[in-house]
Amino acid sequence: MIEIILTREDANTEFALLTEWLADDGSEVRKHDVVCLVETTKASLEIEAPGAGTIVHLYAEGAEVELGERIALIAESADELEQARGVRGSAATPAAPAAPTSRKATRKAVELAEQHGIDLDAIEKQGFITERDVEALLADRALEEVEGASEVLAGISLEGVSLPASFTADDSVGVVDPAFLASLDDDRGAFAALPSHEKLAAYRAAGASVGEGVVLGEGTTVWAPRIVLEDGVSIGPRGVVRCVEVVAIGALTMFGADFQLRCRRAYLGAGIWGGRSIRFGGGGHRDPWAILTVGDLGFVGDEVFVNVCRPVLIGREVFLTMRSLLVTHNVGHSVLEGFENRFAPIVLEDRSQVGLGTVVYAGCRVGREAIVASSSYVVSDIPAGKLAIGVPAKVAGDARHSVSRPRQVDLGRRMVEDLHELVSLRGHEVSPLVADEGIAFEVLDPDARGLVAFRERVADLRAVTPAEGETVVLTLEAGSGEPPGGVAVIDLLARRLHGSGGVLLDSVREFCRKRGIRVEPGPWRYPGGLI
Amino acid sequence: MSGQPRCVQVLNGALAEIFETRDDVILLGEDLLDPYGGAFKVSEGLSDRWPERVLTTPISEASLFGVAAGMALRGRRPILEIMFGDFIALGFDQIVNGISKFREMFDDQVAVPLVVRTPMGGRRGYGPTHSQSLEKLLMGVPGIVVVATSECHDLRALLVSAVDDDRPVFLIENKLMYGRPNRRPVGGYLDELRVVETETRYPALTFSGSDFEGGAATIVTYGGMLPIVLEAATELILEHEVFCEVVALSQLLPLDLEPVVESVARTGACVTAEEGGLTGGVGAEIAARVQERSWGDLRRPVQRVAAHDGVIPAARELENQALPGVRDVIDAVAAVAGVRI
Repeated sequence: MIEIILTREDANTEFALLTEWLADDGSEVRKHDVVCLVETTKASLEIEAPGAGTIVHLYAEGAEVELGERIALIAESADELEQARGVRGSAATPAAPAAPTSRKATRKAVELAEQHGIDLDAIEKQGFITERDVEALLADRALEEVEGASEVLAGISLEGVSLPASFTADDSVGVVDPAFLASLDDDRGAFAALPSHEKLAAYRAAGASVGEGVVLGEGTTVWAPRIVLEDGVSIGPRGVVRCVEVVAIGALTMFGADFQLRCRRAYLGAGIWGGRSIRFGGGGHRDPWAILTVGDLGFVGDEVFVNVCRPVLIGREVFLTMRSLLVTHNVGHSVLEGFENRFAPIVLEDRSQVGLGTVVYAGCRVGREAIVASSSYVVSDIPAGKLAIGVPAKVAGDARHSVSRPRQVDLGRRMVEDLHELVSLRGHEVSPLVADEGIAFEVLDPDARGLVAFRERVADLRAVTPAEGETVVLTLEAGSGEPPGGVAVIDLLARRLHGSGGVLLDSVREFCRKRGIRVEPGPWRYPGGLI
Repeated sequence: MSGQPRCVQVLNGALAEIFETRDDVILLGEDLLDPYGGAFKVSEGLSDRWPERVLTTPISEASLFGVAAGMALRGRRPILEIMFGDFIALGFDQIVNGISKFREMFDDQVAVPLVVRTPMGGRRGYGPTHSQSLEKLLMGVPGIVVVATSECHDLRALLVSAVDDDRPVFLIENKLMYGRPNRRPVGGYLDELRVVETETRYPALTFSGSDFEGGAATIVTYGGMLPIVLEAATELILEHEVFCEVVALSQLLPLDLEPVVESVARTGACVTAEEGGLTGGVGAEIAARVQERSWGDLRRPVQRVAAHDGVIPAARELENQALPGVRDVIDAVAAVAGVRI
């Protein structure tokens, strides 16, 4: 069915007079035939048929027709002719104007909501719905889950902070026999010297909850009335973990040598990577408020020191770069003489970053995705999404900028180019890069053979053709379906892995991680491979 | 939105209301009589009801301005409809050497309470002499008031205020505006945008998508550019979460700078957007004054969005290239706010 619409072209007014039909009702017309004349206040216009078929008039000669209305239909079949006559019969049927699509949620909000399965209608707001609104809703929900979990956290907003799952774990999990703890105190050195598996057997026997693949390095002890160590927790040699009430460490979390953790309660999430000589604790670690949380997938660089005498809440995917310092109190001269003595919590919201050698002072909050540059001194809250720098740290701009789609495509391609170079320099045999619909290369090592490619979008995951060996496709837009066996698709924007693979996938995943793209499902630890 | 009357209906209703409440008002211009009712139908139905007060005239703008000025000097309140804004050029001697100066030249013994209504703007393929936005020519004439209407302003109030004004008022309308709904804010919002309106005789509207917090730039505009600027601001929000404040002025002369200065103090950056030509434009004047008044607030120089300096082609595609569009506004904001789009 073709519609003849009276367009608004060059008319001053809203109505035009249909002066004469040149094509009779029910006659056959060809494309470009002049079918009628209409008169506006300025001109007489010839209206052409936009296509061929049988014409059905919707208005009679002499009618005043509002511009934008359809004046006739052209039926291209007998069925359509009947339908068209029906339209005329139902009278006064203006062409349905396309309903204005009122979009009030931003693209970032829609993407985040989709990622978390949030119905945007759940957000009641008069203005635009932004990413921040979705985050607030997520934080509210997280807050509801932990409500009442701890009165010592009262007054600290958990908005923007994803707590580790262990925070809400049942109090009965991992309760340790007090006699066992007392025996540790009797001769700490002897116990610490035992090999890892013997220490773990003793912890398990005493009631601690210890998962598979846990490693406690030489000279390391864990001391707490409740101990929860999930699968794959690893603490390097000469470590001391001593908490007054509970220590819970999530799966695949590891810390290097000389790790120290001392506070009343510590909840460390899953997939945290920690370097050497990290200290959580210090003065006041026995205080009732000395509570530490570190969300999943955190990064804690070498020689980081976090003083915990008031709550230190560190969210998910937070970067504490080398030698950064978080201090929840100061030690000074007498308050009665006018010197400041401050004891206050510190909150680092999800995905925030604290730069090399930077100090965050008591009472400060670093907002979601905010970045504090190296060697800065944070003495006031840093708003979400901002870049702060200096002593004292001041907002200097935005932590990130928007990246256009063409630029994202360019960056995605370049990742494959860089990976190609890296794998090649590492001495593995690779094919040259092939610029096809995206870009791709093959790894020809017999034990890691496969194809790595970038495609802007992969509409149907089921339709990806497997190459010889593994197939790993990086994309900006993964469609629906499960990829076939041997095929893995990494959605770089949604940060999600579809399908599975082996050495090659692990290597690509590690490469992505080093570009800040950590993909779900996680946490995950690089078992070694091509890079 | 569909419930809101079209701008032409609001203006037409306001004219009828003015005719009912004042008997000193006379409407004169070309082709005003019913059934035609003016080229854009703003005066439709008026000549039937008030035949002696709606005067249709020949094509004679130069003398029309003189006749209207004479009526105003003698105590009437003439409303002069100039069919296309381009034609004010014909009345310029009357405007520059008479209408704007009589009051001061005759030591306040006379006033010229004249309203000139005229549509500016292109995007209808009317070609070089029927598509211009010539407000900038009026900006250099002290002694007159230039008021730009827009589809979001209270058009009735603007027209009533103009007629009540004892000064000569040029009320700038817009050709595309007539057929569109008069989209007034409801409860302080226009769709998702918060709107505040100054309580001045010719109000300015300031729009914000973030409740006036964290704006990346202030876009100052008026008239027919407003819907384009609002579309650009909305796209910046939805696609990039870049929030701008939009100041829609109505009083261009004397320039109503306060709402602009207040907004720039919040956003730290300023873009002007007008449909008239760039050189010596309204945006140039705003830019100069903002840089004088708000230098300490500005992070970068003011950017101007305007038509190219040249004739406006009749061919649609070429006309679109000559006139500023949504993309131009977005690019200017990206430049001034230091964000990559």
